[in-house]
Amino acid sequence: MLGIALKMLFGDIVKMLGLVMGIAFSTLLMAQQGGFFIGLISRAANTVTEAQGVAIWVMDPKTETAEGPTAMRDVELYRVRGVEGVRQASPLVQATTTLRTPQGRSSAAAFLGVDDASLLGINPRFVVGSPEDLRRPDAIALDQLGFSRLWPGEPLATGKEIEVNDRRATVVAITEALPGFTAPVIVYTRLSQALSYVPGGRNRLSFILVEAEPGRDPRAIAQAISAQTGLLALTTPEFQRRTIDYVLNNTGIAPSFGVVIALGAVVGILVTGLTFTLFVNDNLKQFAVLKAMGLSNWRLLGMVLAQALVVAFIGYAIGLWIASGFFDAVNQPFSDLKGFWLPWQIAVMVAGATAVIVSLASLIAIRRVLRLDPATVFRG
Amino acid sequence: MPAIVTTGITKSFGAGETRTSVLRGVDFEAEAGEMTFLVGPSGCGKTTFISILSALLSADGGALSVFGTEPNRLKSGDLVRFRRDMVGFVFQQFNLLPALDAAENVAVPLIIQGVSPRKARQRACAWLELLGLGAHLGKLPSELSGGQQQRVAIARALIHEPRLLVCDEPTASLDAETGRQVIELLREVSLNPERAAIIVTHDDRIYPYADRIAFMADGRLTHVERPDPARIPARPIRGETQP
Ligand SMILES: Nc1ncnc2c1ncn2[C@@H]1O[C@H](COP(=O)(O)OP(=O)(O)OP(=O)(O)O)[C@@H](O)[C@H]1O
Ligand SMILES: [Mg+2]
Repeated sequence: MLGIALKMLFGDIVKMLGLVMGIAFSTLLMAQQGGFFIGLISRAANTVTEAQGVAIWVMDPKTETAEGPTAMRDVELYRVRGVEGVRQASPLVQATTTLRTPQGRSSAAAFLGVDDASLLGINPRFVVGSPEDLRRPDAIALDQLGFSRLWPGEPLATGKEIEVNDRRATVVAITEALPGFTAPVIVYTRLSQALSYVPGGRNRLSFILVEAEPGRDPRAIAQAISAQTGLLALTTPEFQRRTIDYVLNNTGIAPSFGVVIALGAVVGILVTGLTFTLFVNDNLKQFAVLKAMGLSNWRLLGMVLAQALVVAFIGYAIGLWIASGFFDAVNQPFSDLKGFWLPWQIAVMVAGATAVIVSLASLIAIRRVLRLDPATVFRG
Repeated sequence: MPAIVTTGITKSFGAGETRTSVLRGVDFEAEAGEMTFLVGPSGCGKTTFISILSALLSADGGALSVFGTEPNRLKSGDLVRFRRDMVGFVFQQFNLLPALDAAENVAVPLIIQGVSPRKARQRACAWLELLGLGAHLGKLPSELSGGQQQRVAIARALIHEPRLLVCDEPTASLDAETGRQVIELLREVSLNPERAAIIVTHDDRIYPYADRIAFMADGRLTHVERPDPARIPARPIRGETQP
């Protein structure tokens, strides 16, 4: 009977397409917005995600996010270095400033000043040049997005001059970096350099980055640091978590995406429900004939569910295909939307939501079919 | 004892003010191996009555035996199986599934019985060949004429060898000549010593094809006639019609 159910479905190609498009649309909306949401909030923690080899982030207890640190005194670095299990502790200064080209173009950027000696915390993906180039005077490493904003259309090249707070800097390397939340462009430089670019006196440490002794539990070391220094010490995953939680709790991002995603689900339920009810209504006579000929309610239910599942599957596949195509298209090195992707967890959640949508949408139709009086076959 | 016997069948629809008594005690008999016509004015209850015979409706009162089974006493699951295995239907409006081709339509009762679609299609094709539709196996109903569609419907009604064949106005949607051909064919392929065929009709031009004609009026059976056997068109009646 499944074959017959599918022939009925494909026999009414207009409604079938309506159903598929309704589901594809709501899948697309949910998957695209879901991926967008994840991409956007994870931007807040991208500087943490990108810092290679860092096990523990130490910060002032008032620091809530990776992008909004409260400054610490320089002396804290030495106190952290004294804690058992800390293999290496390096300073990080982080600030948001504006980059300006001599031609007058400008872009906001997150400025990350890493330890002059160890360069700990630097993102390793250099497209042009290498981390060692940062040791040169006035050197900064700019990311591809920043380069394309400051010198649009020009091929990637080092040696370009820019101004940072009226001070000269030279682009000595170009990185591929995940964008930040407040400023998508990421600039790496040495700490001493960073201090000269960003205004203020001493005691401006944003974070202390800790490498753990091999084989030691970072969580335990972090607790020891907190206990001995009164600073907040978090493992890398904990700090990513804290940052994202802060963004979720202190911005309207979650509710505004939630509304769009819910709207996608509601549109899906309405369009699919309406079309599917129309489809089943149009075929009610056929279902009555099958019922008269001795097809049980269970098998009729199976037919209707098969029809619903097939359109759900096709619609979901199309919607997800378009959504992933969207993310592939925007996730380019020079794109403002770079770093956005479609996590498989979102695909799975949207599949679940689609299953629920289709189940709800077919309820009315199923009720009609189950209550159908087979004696109507003899009535015109 | 006749294959089908009913005594005092009553049926009404609605409740309270709007309650209408449609069948007021129908006493009816039909023999296997015969075609029994059920005729009468519009609204007298013919369709209601064959719906009860074929277990699509339950009677309010009276007794009813169809080849020894009493559909009124069956539970709903058994009723479904009764229709599946015992009854073949032919409708005025053919009621073929528009998305299925002729052979698939004919195969449906076997598929409902659980026969594999491939086997069911083979047997459907054999039936369609028998009914002279061998050239139209893969055509959709919309590509067939009314007479061809009704022949497909007849094949569908017989493919699972039901013991009861009920036809409601099988010729009413066809022109006179096509109607005559269809009833002739029906007589040729459906008659079988194991099967009773009951045909509701308004069309008195086909009365000569009946073995018996039961007249209904106002919810009751009034009388039964046997048409002059000499007027039945001389056609060999096959006992065994399975292709
Ligand atoms: N489900 C129903 N609900 C209410 N009334 C019904 C129902 N089915 C039939 N009736 C009524 O019962 C009466 C008999 O209907 P039925 O269809 O059995 O007559 P019929 O003899 O087949 O008529 P026709 O020759 O026009 O087909 C009609 O008045 C009809 O309106
Ligand atoms: Mg009728």
